[in-house]
Formats: sequence, C-alpha cells, structure tokens
Amino acid sequence: MVKYMKPSKGEKVFDIFNMIFLTILGILFLYPIINVVAVSFSSSSAVLQNQVTVFPVQFTTTAYSKIINNASIYHSYENTIFVALIGCVLTLLATCIAAYPLAFCEFYGKKVYSMMIIIALWFSGGMIPTYLVMNSLHLTNSLWALILNTLFSSYYIIILRSFFTGSIPMSLIESMRMDGANDFTILFRLVIPLSKAALATIALWIIVLHWNEFLPALMYLQDRKKYTLQMILQEIILQNQGALSGASDSARINAEGQMVIPTQIQNAVIVVSIIPMIVIYPFLSKYFVKGIMLGAVKG
Amino acid sequence: MKTKKRTAAGTGSPEPAISLRNNYRVRRNIWKNRAVYLMILPVVVFYIIFRYIPMGWLSISFYDYKILKGFGGSKFVGFDNFVYLFSNSSFWQALLNTLLLNLLVLLICFPAPIIFALLLNELTHRKMKKAIQTVSYLPYFLSAVVVVGMIYNFLSSTSGSINLLRQSMGMNTINFLQEPQYFRPIYVVANLWQGIGWSSIIYLAALSSVDDTLYEAAMVDGASRFQRCIHVTIPSILGTIMIMLIFQIGSLITVGFDMTYLLQTPTNLSVSEVLTTYTYKLGMTSSRFGLATVVDLFNSVVSFALVMLANVFSKKVAEVSIV
Repeated sequence: MVKYMKPSKGEKVFDIFNMIFLTILGILFLYPIINVVAVSFSSSSAVLQNQVTVFPVQFTTTAYSKIINNASIYHSYENTIFVALIGCVLTLLATCIAAYPLAFCEFYGKKVYSMMIIIALWFSGGMIPTYLVMNSLHLTNSLWALILNTLFSSYYIIILRSFFTGSIPMSLIESMRMDGANDFTILFRLVIPLSKAALATIALWIIVLHWNEFLPALMYLQDRKKYTLQMILQEIILQNQGALSGASDSARINAEGQMVIPTQIQNAVIVVSIIPMIVIYPFLSKYFVKGIMLGAVKG
Repeated sequence: MKTKKRTAAGTGSPEPAISLRNNYRVRRNIWKNRAVYLMILPVVVFYIIFRYIPMGWLSISFYDYKILKGFGGSKFVGFDNFVYLFSNSSFWQALLNTLLLNLLVLLICFPAPIIFALLLNELTHRKMKKAIQTVSYLPYFLSAVVVVGMIYNFLSSTSGSINLLRQSMGMNTINFLQEPQYFRPIYVVANLWQGIGWSSIIYLAALSSVDDTLYEAAMVDGASRFQRCIHVTIPSILGTIMIMLIFQIGSLITVGFDMTYLLQTPTNLSVSEVLTTYTYKLGMTSSRFGLATVVDLFNSVVSFALVMLANVFSKKVAEVSIV
C-alpha cells in the first residue's frame, strides 16, 4: 500500500494490537496439532498429570510401537491410499474430458450437456437414493463406491472449464485442428500440459477429500477389511461409540488402550493419519490459493 | 406426423428438403465432432446413473420401500410417508436444530473470516502476514474425525486439559460432550478453528486486487485508515461477500454430517440431531428408506429454493449473482 501520511498515534496502537491479536490466533491454529504430537510422544504418567503442552515430556515411542504392527490400521492405510490415488487419477481424467468440450467445442447438444452438469450442482438425489442406486448396482461394500461417488464433480468441471477458457487461447486449439489433430490429441498434447497448475490444485483437493471423507465410508463399507483410515480412526478415538467387533486387532488395541493409556494411542493414531496431509501441505499451500481463485471466477 | 417423416426420408418434397439438408448438416456436424461425443459419452452415462437416476429415485418417498424387493415389490403408499414424518415431532426437532446451528454459523463463522482477512490485510509486516496465513489454513486439512478426537482430548472429563484446569482452580468437572447446552458452542468453535483460515483466502485474494489508486484518492481526501477500510476496502470486496453469502444461505438447511455425527452422544441428541444425521439414521440404521427419502427430498427442494432466493435477493441488492 502507498504511504503518504504519517501514521497517527491511534493507528500505531491499532497496529500493535493487531499484531498481538493475530499472533495469538496463529498460535491457536497450531497449538492443538502440536499438542497432539507432543502427547503421542510423552509417557503415560506425564499425560495423566497434564504436563504435556508443546514439547513431549519423558519422550517415548511406546504408543507408536503399539499401533505400527496393527493389522487393521495397516489395512485401512492401504485402502485409503488406494482410494486417494486411484480416485485422484481417475477424477482428473474424468474432469478433463468433461470440461474440454464445454470450453473449446461447438456441438449439437452442448446446451443440454452444460445444463446437465450445472443442474447437478444445485440439485441432488440426496443421501438415501444415491445409496440405493449404488446398492442396486452392487457397488456397495467396495472401495470403488468411494471413487465413483465423486468421480465427476460439477464443481471441479466448472472450475476447470473456466481455467481452460481463461488460459488457453482458442486460436491455439483452432490451429491444431487445422493441422488435422483430433480432440483427444488436442486435449492430451496441448490442453493438459498447459493446465498443470490447475490440475495440480484439483488433484490435491481430491486427495484431501478422499483422505478425510467419512460419511461415504460409513455408508458404503460394511466389511472391516475394507474400512478406510477415517473409519478405524473413529473406532479408536471415539471408543465409547465405535462398534467393535470382538476378535479384531482394533478391539485388542482398544482394550489395551483403555487399561493403560488411551490418550497416547489416540494421539499417535491421529499423528499417523495426518502425516500425509502435513507432507503435502507445502504443495497444497502453494497451489490452492490460486485454485480457490479459479473457483471464484465463475462461482 | 409419422407419414410426413417417412416422405421426408423417402422422396423429398420442397418442404422436407430443407429439413433433409438440415439433417445432413446435423449429421455432418455430429460426424465431425465424433471425438467430442466420444468424450462426453462417459460423462453423460455417469451423470445419468449417479446423479439423475438418484433424483428420480427420490420418488421412493412415495413407497414403503424395501431394499430387497425394489420398486416392483414395494408398496406405493402415496403421501403416507410425508404425513407420518411431518406429524412427527422428531423431524421438526431435527429441522429446528439444523436451522439454529446454521444461524449460529451464519452469525459467527461467516463474518469471522472477513474480519480475519481485513485484519491480516492491515498487517504491515509482510513475513508475519504470510506466516499467519499459512498456519491459519492448516486445520482445514484435518478430517472431522481428527478434529473431534482433539475435542475429546481437550474436553475429556478425566484427562482433558480444560477439566484439569478447572480442577486445579477448585471447580467441578463438566462432561462437556454429554451436556446438551455445550454442543452448539463446541460445534461453532470447532468450525471456526477449522474454517476461518480457509474461508479467508478468497477475501484476501479479493483484497489484494483492490486498485491502489482508490486508496491514494481516499488519502488525498484525508481519509483515515479506518475510513479507508469502511469506504474503500469493504465496498470493493462486497461482491465476493455476497457470493459467499448466497452459498451460505443455500446450505442453510444442510449441516455437515461428519462433525455433527461424531460429536453426538446419547445425551446431547436433543440439540445435536440435525437433518443429515436424522436421514442417515432413518435410512441406514432403521432401513426406513421411504421416510428417509422424504427428508432427502425436503432437503434438496428447500436448498434449491434457498439458493435461488438468495440469488434473486443478491441480484437486486448487490447486483451480483451466481446463476
């Protein structure tokens, strides 16, 4: 901002208070996460005496050694990675082929096609009919239900369409058409390579979405072997509510945890579950600010 | 009609000849765009199966639907499900809880990111601004399960820091998650913590695109920093605020399922049962699909109406619209 006037006294006071206030807020955003990490590495007595704040007290990794060999956590981790990665690749591909005709092609039925996508943005069949349709296609109790559920999203399609039209000149497309390239070639050779930033944003969104989704997993997965990370997490964290099937590994963990140090194990599981998010966070913060603005262009 | 078509295809009298040529042009266009049609084919198939058939299946609300029998075997019951549900106090309780929760969110969680963005925008220290901003959207990437886990940790009656603090100060412990009156504050605070940074991004972006010359002009006119904020900054981001408001109003009767469901305990159900969790329990737990679908239908129709209403309103007031 341009500074012509000397700041008045009131403005200086405001600046200082603003700085202090925002710093406190910044600490509040971080503290619960840091605390979880600290507790997960602290000894049980320190946890029970509420000594742990920012740093681990009496550093120990017992909680991690308890969960690291746990079969159901391991399985659920695999399942979530499967859904997140396959879902990400397929959704990206799906979003590209859905958005490309909207952005660059004139064809009969385009109006109907775009209405079809927009209406789904504002009106939906709701939770139960969607479940029943999935069920009648025998897609429930399969990880594919989670992938199919969000394979095409009107929101992403519209965002990508705006990005396409905004960043790739039509003349470029036309010249490739002149050269005899078909639309698939144009999409894969020209449009996708030029849209890496937008695609990276959407990819990260999808990964985060699949990593954190809970309701679809709760609805579509019945078999414990197919449970995703969030389902297992929910059982471990909210033991009193989680329905535990007798002989499973998770139940054993819970039983042990309840006797000794449930808080530690819960915190360790939370840490294990958010590590991937923390790892991709630098990429996230690099891309999504741009991405959210893509969304803002056309709403 | 039928005969006319046949002659058009066969002989080609003057009038149909035009349509024949049109027809030919259409076909040539379709053939030329065959790659495009190939591209949209899976999209259309997907949308029909996973978006539009479920919309059609909202008609389950007129059936006593049994999952094993399907439409054919289930009994058509007319408006019985509607009558049953709308005369049931638990439905109205869930609707009321949903509205109250969302009104709180609208009053607190909606303006908070705007204020946060404005304050951040006034921060003169560049690096600090960046650091606080980066930290502020970290909570958004945690799942509801994790956030609720953290809430359990903090509020636990035996080992939660809040209660230990209360004990050390000689106060009695409170089982926050079991007491109905604490559910809404917990929900709002958790939402605030998770969403404030993320929601502020869009306002910050809008703020950064405000024309500097406007500020210069205001300064020449002798406007103080506060006046500049009121008369330049806020009007320039009003459009963004209105669009976000439309979205917020559109989701006035939808409460996020995950957080609510996970914060529910048997004793706080009187305030924590909202439409989404109510639908889930009716459908998935009690297998009363007909009734649950009525709630879904209600939800879809009212949400749609709210979006359209908010859109019309904002078009009139702020000349911003999304449709």
